[in-house]
Amino acid sequence: MASSEKRRLKGSKVVIRSKTFRESYYEDIKLFQTIWIRIWISLFLILLATLPIWGNPYVIYLINLSCIAVVAALGLNLLIGYTGQISLGHAAFIAIGAYTTAILSSKVGLPFWVCLLASGGVAATVGCGLGIPCLRLKGLYLAMATMAFGVVVDFVVITWGKLTGGIRGINVAKVAIFGFPLDSDNKIYYFLLVCTILTILAIKNLVRTRVGRAFIAIRDRDIAAEIMGVDITAYKVMAFTISSFFAGIAGGMYSYTMGYIHPEHFTLLLSVQYLAMIIVGGLGTILGSIFGAVFIVLVPELIKAISRFSALLIPALKGKYDEEWNIAAFGLLIMIFLIFEAGGLYGIWGRIKTSFKNWPYTY
Amino acid sequence: MKVRGMWTGLLVFFLVCLLAVPSFAQRGVTKDTIKLGLILVKTGPVAALGIPNGNGMVDYMQYLNDQGGVAGRKIEVIWEDDQFEAPKSVAALKKLITRDNVLTVITTGGSQQTIANLENINQYKVPNIPNALMKEFYDPFQPYIFAMGATYEAQYDCIVDYIFNDLKEKNPRIGVVYEKKEYGIKGLEEIKKRAKAYGVDLVSELVLPTGAVDASSQVLGLMNDKVDYVVTCLLLPPTITFLKTAEKYNYWPKNVFGFNWAADDMIVKACGEAAKNFIGVNFVGAWWDESPGIKLARQIAQKYNRTDISLTSLYINGIGVSWLFGEAFKRAGKDLTPDTLKAALETFKGYSTGGVLPPVTYTTKSHEPPEMVKFFKADVANKRLVALTDWRKPKEMK
Amino acid sequence: MQLFASGIAVGCLYALIALGFVLIIKATDILNFAHGEIIMISSLICYFLMAKYHFSFLPAVLITVVVAAFMGVLTERLVLRPMLGEPIFAVVMITIGLSIFLRSLAGITFGHDNYVFPSPFPKEPINLAGITLSMTQIWVMISTAILVVFFFIFFKYSRMGLAMRGTADDQETALLMGISTKRVFALVWGIAFVTAAIAGISLANVMVVNIGLTFVAISAFPAIILGGLESIPGAIIGGLAIGVIENLAGGYLDQVIGGGVKDVTPFVVLFLILMIKPYGLFGKEEIERV
Repeated sequence: MASSEKRRLKGSKVVIRSKTFRESYYEDIKLFQTIWIRIWISLFLILLATLPIWGNPYVIYLINLSCIAVVAALGLNLLIGYTGQISLGHAAFIAIGAYTTAILSSKVGLPFWVCLLASGGVAATVGCGLGIPCLRLKGLYLAMATMAFGVVVDFVVITWGKLTGGIRGINVAKVAIFGFPLDSDNKIYYFLLVCTILTILAIKNLVRTRVGRAFIAIRDRDIAAEIMGVDITAYKVMAFTISSFFAGIAGGMYSYTMGYIHPEHFTLLLSVQYLAMIIVGGLGTILGSIFGAVFIVLVPELIKAISRFSALLIPALKGKYDEEWNIAAFGLLIMIFLIFEAGGLYGIWGRIKTSFKNWPYTY
Repeated sequence: MKVRGMWTGLLVFFLVCLLAVPSFAQRGVTKDTIKLGLILVKTGPVAALGIPNGNGMVDYMQYLNDQGGVAGRKIEVIWEDDQFEAPKSVAALKKLITRDNVLTVITTGGSQQTIANLENINQYKVPNIPNALMKEFYDPFQPYIFAMGATYEAQYDCIVDYIFNDLKEKNPRIGVVYEKKEYGIKGLEEIKKRAKAYGVDLVSELVLPTGAVDASSQVLGLMNDKVDYVVTCLLLPPTITFLKTAEKYNYWPKNVFGFNWAADDMIVKACGEAAKNFIGVNFVGAWWDESPGIKLARQIAQKYNRTDISLTSLYINGIGVSWLFGEAFKRAGKDLTPDTLKAALETFKGYSTGGVLPPVTYTTKSHEPPEMVKFFKADVANKRLVALTDWRKPKEMK
Repeated sequence: MQLFASGIAVGCLYALIALGFVLIIKATDILNFAHGEIIMISSLICYFLMAKYHFSFLPAVLITVVVAAFMGVLTERLVLRPMLGEPIFAVVMITIGLSIFLRSLAGITFGHDNYVFPSPFPKEPINLAGITLSMTQIWVMISTAILVVFFFIFFKYSRMGLAMRGTADDQETALLMGISTKRVFALVWGIAFVTAAIAGISLANVMVVNIGLTFVAISAFPAIILGGLESIPGAIIGGLAIGVIENLAGGYLDQVIGGGVKDVTPFVVLFLILMIKPYGLFGKEEIERV
C-alpha cells in the first residue's frame, strides 16, 4: 500500500502530502510503509480485540464467519487475482479441509494445530493434483474444469460414507488450545482472528517475493513471462497448491466454528460466492479480498437489519414486507457497485482515501 | 467535505443498526405480548418447502390472537429466513435470541440447520419443534427439542408393513427409487432392513438425482426388473417427474409409494392419471379430511386469504406445530418462561389436534413424536389425496 | 437403444440451453451467469400466460419470445453498455449479480410454488421401431434442429452474422470498420434471450415449472464445454453427447458403482476431454500474441 510522507513547505504551516520518498532499501521492503498505517491498524486491532466485551453475540458470530471467508478469499485471490487462473472449485478445497479437520479431530483426536495444518496440507496436495492437468487450460475452459472437479469431490464425499459420514455429516469436537476448550463464541472469535491475521501477513509477504511477482507475470502475459525465464509450469501449480492450502485452513476453521459439517455446506454456489467476494472486493489486491469477504458475509444481514428498521419507521411498508426484496437488493447492489467502480470495493476505498488525502482539493 | 460527511454518517448508521442491543426484563414476554421466533426457509431454491409451512404457523398464531390471545397476551411472530443454509440458520438464531429477545424459536428449520444449532438451543434454552424427521432428534434425548412427526424410518416401515400385511403379498418384487440425500439413503437402508425382516430382498435400487430432467433410465430399469411395488424416497418434483415418465413408458406398477414430502394433493393435481396408483404416507392429515382440526385449518386459510397454497400438507403441518405451542402457552399460564414452556409441553398426554397430527405425548424423559402415519391414495377425478387408513404405527417385529 | 434415443432427446434440451449461452460468448466473450434465470423466467411467463390469462400455446410462446427479446435488449442497454471496455471479470460478476437479482424478482413475482405446465402435446408416446418417444421430445428435437440450422446460416452467410463474429474477435477494430457495436450487442443479447426462452418453454413441457429451473442450466455446462465455447455446432453436438452419456451411464453404470453416477459422469467426461483437447472438441484454439 503506497502512501505518502508529509512534507512541510518552508515557512508555512500548511502540510501538503506528496509522493513517497523512500530513502533506503529497508524502507522499501517494509511491510507497512508508514507510521500512519501502523497506527490505524493498531487501533483497528484494539477495537477488534475488545469487541466481545461490548458487542452482541450475533455480531461476533458474523465476524467469525467473515474471518473464515477472508482466509478462503485470500487464497482464491492468489489464484485468480494474482495468477489469473479462474477456479470454480474453491468450495471443494474448503470441503476437503473441513472434512480433514473434522475427521482428524473427532475420530483421531489430534490437537488443533495439527488438524489445521493437515487440512491445509491435504487440500494443497489435492490442489497440486488438480493444477497439473489444468496447465494447458485457460479462461472459461479452466473454470469449467475446476467446476467439474468440484462436482466430483462432492460425489466422493457423499459416496465415501465410511470416511466422511456421507449425508449424515460429521460432528466436530470442540477445539482445545493447550487444554482450554474453546466452547464459546468469544473464544472461537479470538482463535479465528489470530488465524486470519497470520494468513494476511503470510499472503502479504508472499506477494512481495519472487513467487508473487512470478504469479503476476503469468497473469499479465504468460507467454512473455515464459520467454523471460519464469517457469510457468512450476508457478501455476504452486499457485493452485498455495491457494488450496489456505482454502483447506479456512475449511478447518469452519469445522471448528460450526461444530457440524455436511456435504451440502459446500456447493457450487459457495464457489461462486467466493468469486463474488474477490471480484466485488477488488481483484488482485489483498485489502480488496478482505473487503469483499466481509461485504458478502455481512451485507445480506445488514440489508435485513436496515429493511426491518425502515419497516418499523414507515408503517405503510410493514404489511408488505417480503424477505425476497432483501436478496433482490443484494444482487442489485453488486451490480451497481461494479458499474460504478469496476475496481470493486478496493477501487472505491482508493477514491475515498484520495478524497481525504487531497482535501481541500477535490482531485 | 460532503463526501466525508456522508460516509461517516452512513458508517454510524450501519453500526447502530448492527450493534444496538435492546434489553428486556423477561425474555420475550411482557404483560400483553409474547414474542416468538421462527426460522424457516423463505427464499432460494427450496423456498417452496418452507413458505406454506411458515404461513401455517403464522396464521394459527394470528387465529389465537383473534380469539383473544393466550392468558391475555397477544402473540407476535418474527420469521427469519435462513435460505436452508446452516451458517445462516445459526446467525438467525443468535439474532432472534440476543437482539430480538424472543421467548423461543418455534422451529429451527430443517434437520441440518437444527443440528448446527444444537449447542445454541441448549445454551439459550430454546424449546422448539424442528422441521425435520430424523431419529437423532429424540434419541438421544434432547431437552429442548420436541420431535414433530413420524421419522423416515417409521414411515418406510409402515409402507413395507402395508405391502405385506394389507396387500397380503408373499413375495413382492420391490424396487426403490431414491435421492442421494439423507432421507433417500436412510430410506433405502430402512426399506431393505424391513423387507429382509419379512424375508424378501429388494429387486432394484436406483438413484434419481434431485434436478433430473428425465427419469427414463430409472423407469426402464424398473421395468426391466419387473418391479411390482416402487417405493420412492423423493421430494415432490422428482416424484412428479418419475410418475410422468412412468406413464410415458406405459409402466404401471401395482403401486408407487411416496413419503411425507411427496404425499400432497399437488401430486395428484400435477400428474393426473399418472398418479392413479400412487399411495402416500404422511404424519399430518390431508387437506380434504373431514376431521375437526383439518376443518379448522381450512377455515383459517380462508379467513386469512390464503387462496393459493400449493403444498397444502405443509400448511397443515405448520398449523399443527403452532397448535401444539398454543396449547403449551395455555398450560404454562401467566408465568411464561422457556423453562415453564418446556415443562408445559411435557404435560401432553395423547393430546389431540383434531386430526391435524396424531395424538401427541411428550414426557420429561422423552420427546418422541407420535410415530404414526396415515395412508392416502390418489383420487384422480377430484385431484386430491383421500385417506386410506387411520393413524397407524409400524408393526412390532420380533 | 432406447436409452440412446432418450439420451438424444435430453441432449437436445441441453443443447438448446447451451445455444444461447454460447451465442453470448461467441459475440461478446462474456460468461452469462444469468442465463439459467432467463430460462426459468421465460418458462414462468409462458406458464402464467397460459394458466392465468388463458392464452393458447402458440400465442403464449410468441408473446414470451417477444418479451424475452425485449429483456435481452434492455439488459444490454442498462447493465452492459456502461461496462464496455471494463475488465471482463467485472462484467462476469455483474451477470452473477444480475442472476441473484432476477432470481429473487422471479420469486417475488411468481411465487415459489411448483406449477404444472399445461402441455399442448398429447400424452401418448410414439413408437418407432421399438423406441418410445413422446411428442414433447420430438418437438424439442425439431425446434433444436431448426434453430441450429438457422444460426449456422445466419453466422456464416448473413451480414449481421459476420458483423457479430467481427465484433467478438476485436471490438475496437470492428468499430473502426464501421460496425455498429451497439446494435450488434443489442441483437446478440436479444437473440440469446429468445433462445433461452425457447429452451425454457421446452423444459416446462418436460418438468415441473418452478424457480429451481435455474439449476438445470448447470447440467448444460459440460455440454457447452465439450463442444467448445466458440462453435455453435459444437454446442449442439456437445449437448447431444452429454445427454447420451448421461443416460447410458445411468442405465449401465448405476448398478456397478453406488448410485448417482449419472450425475457425475458428464463432469468426469468433461474433465477428461479437456485434458486431451483444451479447447473442447470443436473450439477454436486461441492464438495469443505477446
